Amino acid sequence: MQTTHYDSQRPMLSVENLTHRVSLETDTLTILKGVSLEINRGESVAIVGRSGSGKTTLLGLLAGLDTPTEGTVELDGAIISKLSEDERAQLRAHRVGFVFQSFQLLPALTALENVMLPLELAGMDAPEKRAKELLERVGLGERLAHTPRQLSGGEQQRVAIARAFASEPAIMFADEPTGNLDNRTGQEISDLLMALNQEQGTTLVMVTHDEQLAARCSRQFHIEAGELTEPVAQVELAH
Amino acid sequence: MAAAKKLMSVRRDWRERDVRVVLAALIIAVATVATIALFASQLQRTLVSSASSFLAADRQLEAENGRPVPEIWITEAANLGLETGRMVEFSTMVFGSDAFQLVSIKAVSNEYPLRGDLEIQGATEGSREQVQHGPAPGEVWINPRLLRLLDIKIGDSLEVGSQNLTVSGVLLREPDGGFSLSALAPRVMMHVDDVASTGVIQEGSRVEYVYLFAGKETALDTYYQWLEPQLEPSHEWEGVRDGETFSRSLERAESFLLLGGSLAVLLAAVAVAVASRQYALSQRDTVALLKTLGLGSSGIGRLYLKRLSLWGVTGMIGGLLVALPLFWLLTRLLSEALERPVEFQLDSSALTPALLTAVVSLFAFAYPPIRRLRNVPAMRVLRSQPGETGREALPDMLIAIVAVFGLVWLYAGELSLVIALLGGLALLLGALGLLGSLLVAALRKVRGGGHSWRLALVGLYRHRRASLSQIAVFAMTLMLATTLILVRTSLLDDWQAQLPDDAPNHFLINIAPDSIDEVAGYWKERGQPLDQLYPMVRGRLTELNGQPVKEVVSKDQRVGALNRELNLTWMTALPKDNSIVEGNWFEAGQTDGVSVEAELAGKLGLALGDELTFTIGSDKVTETVTSIRTVQWDSMKPNFYMAFPPEGGLTNMPATWITSFYLPKDKKSALNEFSRRFPTVSLLEIDNIIERIQEIVRQVTQAIEAILVLILAAALVVMAAVVSATLQDRQREGALLRTLGGRQRLLVRSTMLEFALLGGFAGILGVAAAEAAVWALQFRMFEGSFKWHWHVVLPIPVISAVVLSLFGRWQLRPVLSVSPMLLLRRLE
Repeated sequence: MQTTHYDSQRPMLSVENLTHRVSLETDTLTILKGVSLEINRGESVAIVGRSGSGKTTLLGLLAGLDTPTEGTVELDGAIISKLSEDERAQLRAHRVGFVFQSFQLLPALTALENVMLPLELAGMDAPEKRAKELLERVGLGERLAHTPRQLSGGEQQRVAIARAFASEPAIMFADEPTGNLDNRTGQEISDLLMALNQEQGTTLVMVTHDEQLAARCSRQFHIEAGELTEPVAQVELAH
Repeated sequence: MAAAKKLMSVRRDWRERDVRVVLAALIIAVATVATIALFASQLQRTLVSSASSFLAADRQLEAENGRPVPEIWITEAANLGLETGRMVEFSTMVFGSDAFQLVSIKAVSNEYPLRGDLEIQGATEGSREQVQHGPAPGEVWINPRLLRLLDIKIGDSLEVGSQNLTVSGVLLREPDGGFSLSALAPRVMMHVDDVASTGVIQEGSRVEYVYLFAGKETALDTYYQWLEPQLEPSHEWEGVRDGETFSRSLERAESFLLLGGSLAVLLAAVAVAVASRQYALSQRDTVALLKTLGLGSSGIGRLYLKRLSLWGVTGMIGGLLVALPLFWLLTRLLSEALERPVEFQLDSSALTPALLTAVVSLFAFAYPPIRRLRNVPAMRVLRSQPGETGREALPDMLIAIVAVFGLVWLYAGELSLVIALLGGLALLLGALGLLGSLLVAALRKVRGGGHSWRLALVGLYRHRRASLSQIAVFAMTLMLATTLILVRTSLLDDWQAQLPDDAPNHFLINIAPDSIDEVAGYWKERGQPLDQLYPMVRGRLTELNGQPVKEVVSKDQRVGALNRELNLTWMTALPKDNSIVEGNWFEAGQTDGVSVEAELAGKLGLALGDELTFTIGSDKVTETVTSIRTVQWDSMKPNFYMAFPPEGGLTNMPATWITSFYLPKDKKSALNEFSRRFPTVSLLEIDNIIERIQEIVRQVTQAIEAILVLILAAALVVMAAVVSATLQDRQREGALLRTLGGRQRLLVRSTMLEFALLGGFAGILGVAAAEAAVWALQFRMFEGSFKWHWHVVLPIPVISAVVLSLFGRWQLRPVLSVSPMLLLRRLE
């Protein structure tokens, strides 16, 4: 089931006046305040900010993992708050990929099976063949039968990247993809992520602390105390 | 769907500890319930078959109107596959060599007895032989007393009416010789085909036709359903359960077994609930990830439902595979205990409660927390979300409580049991809530003590939610196990105390007032003094408040006591094992009033002040009900429905005296001389009945012990499940503590102390709740009185503390044996 219509004229992601509050025992905490932004197809965008500034919450809302208190998120033509939870899941299955800081592989499954899982959930053909190709592409062709525990952090993140790109998503969300890795491995993972992104023409939205990685994106959004400061042009940042 | 399939395969699940615990709990639950149900049904069969011999059949139909029942009644029984037999009972004079004697004749058909056996004197003097048939046509077997009374011997002939029959055997015991005091005249047993030719039975003779039935319970039920509408008031259908003494013993036996079964159900439920909640908690990350990867809530729901069903099937099969050899073993043990073969018979209907337990355990206990997995937010992949507050679990608890009591009720069929358990648990939970908040408050303030002591208290406080739920589960488990131990020991002891080894096992009836002293002297000389002697007057209850009883009391309410003559007595003091429930016992000098047995009073709807009229011979006696009292029917002492005061309504009525006494087996020869010296005194030997009741007590004890072992095994799994729940946290903390330089000894001590405190608290609470439940059970179910059980109350908290602290030490092994670094990485 396809819940969205592909429309190349419209932005991939369009956010209007997004506000998110959580109620605590005694009062209410506003995490995001009136965030609006647009991200075009094929763009790569970094969301940067200090810890607790609200960037992970924003990523979750953009990806449809959560629904906002106010405002709308339109992802690939679908208004997320109007979808049922199952419809949101369908949208994620077919159009969205994720890479996490803590890899989030299922420990009971092998590398190959972890990559196959989203393909199966999306009902795609020949999941095993496609999963093998991707694992070979990320350089793990020899380690198909290894479980996450038998892999190093960098290797686990490669599996996670292979899994994220397996279903050929239109948009990729990444949450601190190099956060748990040493510099050199982080660098390799960044290269891989960027390369695959380019190969598949995916839109990339990434939360990161890694300035080098952020600098490789076409745009950066800066977030502070739940509010978006103006998108900073890459040129200005560069000097 | 290779990867998805693998994700939900039981084989893979088995590698996850929480699932292993759920499955193990389920298997133990099914195995325990199945074993208990199978064994209970086996025991039931064994007991009933041993009890059936008291009727010489499974059921008896008595026609007291002097007419045989329609022949179609018998052919219908045969058509249903039942075995049938016939007896005719009447009293008549017989003539020996030169003397007459009033005898009680039982004429039996070839099939008699359908159950049990007869004992006749063997070829050599004093030997006994067991046979499963009565005398052949033309022959009679007679009571040994009659040999002496008529001065005849084997081979002589006995004149019964107009027929001469040959005495071919001496009858020592008949299976249905029973307990009824009406068979006072010595017994003559003959063949039923000879009855007509004696010419004794005439129009209007007092004859009782008795029909015997034996076969499958279902066929007997079908037959009774067919028969019942056609029965007249003078017909009495009697099963094992209707016989007073025996049925009480059987009911008690059933209560014990059902109690054990119910406790097993509760423990199973606790184990499954705890383990599956842990499982659900551990699955939240996986669910969040699956949702992120595009699996919807309904997909998640289906995934886990499928999984649950697979567990259910695995649990059922595994449980039955464990139960069958266990049941076989128990059957062997039973057979050894009884010193006779017990058929290994699988009653497939007994498996239903076990399978039902698996289904209910899964859907009422495991499903609710697992179902809530659907609500795990996908956002959890990015950031850990607030965990469950416990409030979501409230409806689960309601479902669980309803389910558990539904199960126990269904299984035990005993509402009072359900109420007692519910009461005990409610008390426990109430106490826990209160103590929990006190504990938390107290722990926060505790200062001082050694390092390990402080660490232990901090540990308890830090895991206070987990600590509380662990205490709750341990306390509940301990309560259930303690209840069973208490009920088993205290009630079985009570029961056995009522039937001590020297319980009266012989009755002397028909003692003439002028020979009382002589009879008492005879037994005193032989070291077997008589119990209390009671006068006995035979009479019928004919009117109630001036109305004929048969009109006042409807057919349904009519009880055996109304159809026959009652034994009426007078007494000064209330017998020790009787107790007054309404009204007052006779005061000294009181001469009016009558005291009625409580159950009969209930059936007849009698109240204090009602007027009862008795017909005694040609006289009528009318008295007012002044008290209602309970009677211990299984005390094996003379018991009376109606008691009058001395010098009361029974004054000047023809009375004989009755008493009971204990006679050991090796002194039975004294009976022969007694019969010779006191030929008119009737002797009723019930040592045989007493032995059988003691046999039931032994069998039930055996069964309860076997069941107790199973239940304790289930309790251990519950404990393991609960402790394992926080295992990872504890191991991580232990590893951290070691990394930070904590010494092994400190770690071991504080962990053991923490668990000992947990165990001690749980022990105290559990034992207190158990005492409450036992108190309720004893009052409501077993009619006993309550005592504190210090010998159990004191050690259980101590044992629980020690066992748990050792368990805690054992759980710590991986933390101590592996480098902290490796452990921390592994636990990541």
